[in-house]
Amino acid sequence: MEVKEPEPRIGVFLCRCGCNIGGVVDIPAVTEYAKTLPFVVYVEENIYTCSSAGLDAIKKQIEKHKLNRVIVASCTPATHESLFQKTCEEAGLNKYLFEMANIREHCSWVHMHLPAEATEKAKDLVRMAAAKARYLEPQIETELDIIPAALVIGGGITGITAATTLARQGFQVHLVEKEAELGGMLKRLYKLEPTDRDSAEVLREAVTALKANSQVHIHTSTLVSQVSGFIGKFNVTLQPKNSGQTEQIEVGTIIVATGAEPLKPIGYYGYSENPNIITELELEQLLRSGKLKKPEKVVMIQCVGTREKTLRTYCSRICCQVALKNATQLRKLYPDSDVFVLFRDVQTFGEYEHIYKDARANFVKFIRYDQNRPPKVATKPDGQLLVSVYDTYLNNEIELESDLVVLSSPLVQHEDGKKLASVLKVPLGADGFFFEVHPKLRPVEFASEGIYICGTAHGPKNILESISQAYATAAKASIPMAAGRIKAGAVKASVNEEICVNCDACVVSCAFNAIEASPFGLPKIIEANCKGCGVCASECPMGAMQLKQYRDDQITIAVEALFEPDKHRKAKGDFKPLILCFACKWCSYAAADLAGVSRIQYSPNVRILRVPCSGRVDVLHILKAFQSGADGVIITGCLIGDCHYIDGNIKAKERVDVIKKALEYLDIDPKRFELGFASSSEGQKFAAMMTDFVKQIEGLGPNTLKPKQRIKNNV
Amino acid sequence: MFKIETKRSLAPGINLFSLSAKELAAKTKPGQFVILRIDEDGERIPLTIADVDLEKGTVSVACHEVGKTSKQLGRLNEGDSILNLLGPLGKPAEIKNYGTVLCVGGGVMAAPLHFQARAFREAGNNVIGVVGATTKNHLIFLDEMEKTCNELYVATDDGTEGHRGIDFLKDLFIERKVDRVITEGPVVMMKAVSDLTRQQGIPTIVNLLPIMVDGMGMCGACRVTVGKNMLFGCVDGPEFDGHQVDFDELLARLKTYTPQEKIAYVFWEEGEKHQ
Repeated sequence: MEVKEPEPRIGVFLCRCGCNIGGVVDIPAVTEYAKTLPFVVYVEENIYTCSSAGLDAIKKQIEKHKLNRVIVASCTPATHESLFQKTCEEAGLNKYLFEMANIREHCSWVHMHLPAEATEKAKDLVRMAAAKARYLEPQIETELDIIPAALVIGGGITGITAATTLARQGFQVHLVEKEAELGGMLKRLYKLEPTDRDSAEVLREAVTALKANSQVHIHTSTLVSQVSGFIGKFNVTLQPKNSGQTEQIEVGTIIVATGAEPLKPIGYYGYSENPNIITELELEQLLRSGKLKKPEKVVMIQCVGTREKTLRTYCSRICCQVALKNATQLRKLYPDSDVFVLFRDVQTFGEYEHIYKDARANFVKFIRYDQNRPPKVATKPDGQLLVSVYDTYLNNEIELESDLVVLSSPLVQHEDGKKLASVLKVPLGADGFFFEVHPKLRPVEFASEGIYICGTAHGPKNILESISQAYATAAKASIPMAAGRIKAGAVKASVNEEICVNCDACVVSCAFNAIEASPFGLPKIIEANCKGCGVCASECPMGAMQLKQYRDDQITIAVEALFEPDKHRKAKGDFKPLILCFACKWCSYAAADLAGVSRIQYSPNVRILRVPCSGRVDVLHILKAFQSGADGVIITGCLIGDCHYIDGNIKAKERVDVIKKALEYLDIDPKRFELGFASSSEGQKFAAMMTDFVKQIEGLGPNTLKPKQRIKNNV
Repeated sequence: MFKIETKRSLAPGINLFSLSAKELAAKTKPGQFVILRIDEDGERIPLTIADVDLEKGTVSVACHEVGKTSKQLGRLNEGDSILNLLGPLGKPAEIKNYGTVLCVGGGVMAAPLHFQARAFREAGNNVIGVVGATTKNHLIFLDEMEKTCNELYVATDDGTEGHRGIDFLKDLFIERKVDRVITEGPVVMMKAVSDLTRQQGIPTIVNLLPIMVDGMGMCGACRVTVGKNMLFGCVDGPEFDGHQVDFDELLARLKTYTPQEKIAYVFWEEGEKHQ
């Protein structure tokens, strides 16, 4: 096997972890075994490798034995890898030359009553780590400077709030608004909940607070036409609407606060055909201008063009609050008028329940209709409106004469928002609104670092919620800007331009816009955007794209090492399957750790190899495992929807059927290969998944593949 | 069986084959393509026709080795034969005198583009050629294009030869009046060229090879969104209005079978190794 220069000198430190590991695993036996592994020049056992004595030992032995690779076989890298890496760096060894074998959470704690099996497994894990260590390379971590300036797109109350908050922290802020004036939707509203304050007054205060900061640069009647670059240094082209002259600015972060617009409900209930059929927003504008003719009977219809069976399936969330607020206003203004609200479900959630109670107290009348039997609005010859509705409580058709019908239409994404999404290369969800990377792990952030989302551009929400999100984005954007620099890890994609065939599969597969195609197809990696998932490497048909620290050769050497002494194992007659599990380093590896912490016992036949993402596991790695003699291979990833790299696990899932078919072609039972998902809290599930898979493989018997004979010329 | 009459290496991994196919050659017009299959178990791959020789009764195709079938083809030599050759397929290019025609070819597609460039020149056009590739040693057909075009520009992604990238076209469009643009090459290149010419309002034709099966309008695998229409690359194309094509969808669709392609390639390579 080819080895990297200079010749590796591997030091292995085996941790007893008191009796946590040493009480189950025969550490002296593993120590003796490790000494026999290629390129291992020093092995030591410690009571606690993470103690100051243990760390000192690592530093001392790096120097004494000129170690250029260090392996610690102990607990999970999730908690201790950074400590050991720091120790290596203190002794002058690049931290990327450190490797860990998890023989506690993944071994001694989950096979407490099987010391012989656990000892075998520990040997395997150490052997895999030692094999991979040979192929490790030192890496340099790059640092990025962050320009302390932000671009806030959208000058509504959300954008104004975000801009003011950042400016008050001392950052330069460019606030861009497409209209001639700031204010956005707030300009069009009237009395605001819950204080009945006039929206104009609220807006005036917000704009005054904004303009009090000299760091704020307001660009009205302006669009953002081009954005390039990445966190720290975005180059932004501003296009004023009434001038051909563009303006270039540089910012470190970007906040999207472009809002939404209410759907014009054309085609619903005769809207636009009769001037007395209007939307809630139009009603507010009439109330604001004082031009509303005193109505006798008002009928409001909820859920117009929303919560539909296709297309706009979402609840617009604010309509019930708005309609009931307006209904109460009308009742207070015209106490002798009748106001009916035709609803499907009243969703004045949380504290907004009081709006519903107020409406009830003010004798607003509620009639529930069924989505499948929506109300009908007709115009009588005398111009009066006639609304007929099937009341699901009375089980009866009701007719209401009316002189004003008000429709609650949802907020929707506007055309400028859609254009902005492609300018920023950020995604829109199925509902058309901007899509944040993860609602719990990274709320208000896009997958592309340094770009944030707040307000109704992200989905329908009320003013209070929009303002809260504005503060959240300002806080998030200020983190890199206050630090001034961010350190980028070195686990990044890199491309071998000699082998690359310029198919740009990597460009298409990258969820983070970290790979750009040059005009003639050469992929260009934007390291600042690369998150290190390795999906591009697995999608590359030629192996030209690789992920540092998880290159194909680094993974396959570990895979081959696992099955090296396999002949010996199988000769004994009694079938003990040997199974490889590729676990993504996030949820599924953490689930395996939790199984350990919870001492959930499972089959000792599985060896876990850590990969950044289930999407990094390549068909090559799986074939290599089976060719080397694996009885079974299982990939585990985060739950669908919870991938830390957006869709890496979906990419893995898409490959499953193809891989199974390929295995079948090679006369390998496709049941020998599975993909499973577990969240970091599902230790029990992970353990059960492993035990079940081992049982499945036991049923199939050993993999008798003679790989080189099975691969035919044509597929 | 169709015999390989000549094989010429154009660049690392790029070969030009002339195949004996008299009837096919007689019917071929620039812009059209063939679908070939190497052997009984072979995959059908579309290749744009790079030239014909009516006297010898041959058609030429240039092939870049990017996967199992193209690599397998690359291992064949003069005198070897392939099993099937179907064509000419697709609509021919609209060759007329437009005035000044700019022909932009990227990578392996510079070869079939040359076939068109020559036809445009013969029709009386002033032909400006652009040959581009990722890097210097992947540039092909420079001599042929030099002879055929009134003037020729060279570009590479890494700047190792000629202009870096295609931004120089912006200046060209300011200096010169271009009446029509033809571009063949990587999807990203055709997209970039179309984006540039859209701003200038210059009619732009792109030559697309989406994933295809039969090439005769039956399977629908090659559908492309052009404006508001869903069209077939094989029978409605391969040439389309570059300003109307949804290139992002095309790129995504081209990637549909990446895992299968990779497996096929890995298996084939392993098989070759152990033969």
